[in-house]
Amino acid sequence: MNFNNLALDLHEIEKEYPENPLDYFKEKKICLFKACLEKYFPGVRWGFQDLLEELQLESSTCLNQSCCSGTFFQRNLITRAQFSAINERNLNEMNQQADIAFFSCNGCYNSLLRGRDFLKNPEVRVKTQEILNSISKKVDGERYPGIYNILENPKLKLVHDLDFLYLIRNDVLNTLKFDLGNLKVAIHYGCHYLNLSRDKKTLDSYFGSKTKLEGLIELFGGIPVDYQERESCCGWGASQLLINPREALKITYNKLKSAENVGADFLLMPCPTCLYTLSKPEYRDNIEKWFGEKLEIPTIHLNELIAILRGCEEERCISLTRKTPRLEEIFEIITQQ
Amino acid sequence: MADHTELDWNWAFYKELVEDVDENRNIIQCISCGKCVGDCPAAKVSTFNSRKIIQKVLRGDKSVLKDSDIWHCYLCERCKRVCPKENINIPLLIINLRNESFKRGYGPRYNDLRKYVEMSERYLTKGTVLEEPLGENLPQERIDELNTICDFARIKYVFKASKEKQKSKRKKS
Repeated sequence: MNFNNLALDLHEIEKEYPENPLDYFKEKKICLFKACLEKYFPGVRWGFQDLLEELQLESSTCLNQSCCSGTFFQRNLITRAQFSAINERNLNEMNQQADIAFFSCNGCYNSLLRGRDFLKNPEVRVKTQEILNSISKKVDGERYPGIYNILENPKLKLVHDLDFLYLIRNDVLNTLKFDLGNLKVAIHYGCHYLNLSRDKKTLDSYFGSKTKLEGLIELFGGIPVDYQERESCCGWGASQLLINPREALKITYNKLKSAENVGADFLLMPCPTCLYTLSKPEYRDNIEKWFGEKLEIPTIHLNELIAILRGCEEERCISLTRKTPRLEEIFEIITQQ
Repeated sequence: MADHTELDWNWAFYKELVEDVDENRNIIQCISCGKCVGDCPAAKVSTFNSRKIIQKVLRGDKSVLKDSDIWHCYLCERCKRVCPKENINIPLLIINLRNESFKRGYGPRYNDLRKYVEMSERYLTKGTVLEEPLGENLPQERIDELNTICDFARIKYVFKASKEKQKSKRKKS
């Protein structure tokens, strides 16, 4: 059985479509993986959906897809085989309706790749298939045949939104109404994007994907600023923020403070979980209470930023229910050009 | 670490862990360089020290299962990235050690897991960890499938424990 990683081969696309990589995605069926935390930041999904529509790409979500369950695996509440079975079930469902699944969340992306990686272990593979068989016995087999099996050679490929957006950056640029007007942007990649071990094989892949956000910011007319805690964790830490909040918020504090210190206008990231941690008002209040400093640097997801730059309505791209400090100020600076 | 010699090494515990999770075999390659600790977010704010944990495992020191340290890992995988060896998977080792700790009754008690009660409940009743998903709810049939997958998992015990606690609260009131 082939358990090669399901990540979309971006180098291959660049080679095949050197003029315009976007052509590869035309005619492909795209499924947007639903990250739980998009509930709090709907602009992360809507902003991306709107962009795809403008680029004339067909996209949908998968009704039968569940949460990736990474949070439960990381806290030992489910086993490796159960985790792999949940992910394989989601892959089965998406594989029925799409060619490519897009991910706005580092955690979900990492979960699906990791669940697949666990299947290389024969014991986990057998247990996973047993679990999937136990579902098949209970469900209506006519819904579609072969449900649910470990997929040997799924047509479905997985890609992180950031990797896709960077690949088609010139097409994205053409959709923008505004530029960043030299705003200074501190970049946060998030651990599960930055530390993906599958990138360790060659120097090119190890370093290559770690400057994509900087590249996009420059292209959009902003200035990426380096700061000491650029590569540090947001503080979420597989729910450490819930279990050991004071320790975890110290990490969040260091990150935000470090970005403020270099004069960044906002902090940009490609993950809603990091966004939640770095922007939640309750966490900012606790930072002030425990570390004696009020930090007000705004935080934005890449998909939301592109929506703002495309001139999307404020309510749709950054949703005003979100009380991130000074976010409206950034929105106004960009859109009043 | 200097107060130990190679004579202290005892492979029994290591073999147990490898039997459970084969990938743990690779921790034997650890050269104790400490890069994992130097770059670790948890090490900056707690006593978590992945190098010491690996040393304890290789010395057969099972006290590591009682240490609260193993519960402070952020599972950020940075150690895996900076490790000069190719296949040492410290986050997976930590998850395995936490499992062993749970099995022996040293793991977090119900109170430590209370933050997970709501998330577990939502996952097993709605298929998401938040109140509602953005968009449509997962159909009931699919939720039943998740419940089948999670049979006998701790997530169900956490969920059940919350139900029992709610019942006893109701009775008292």
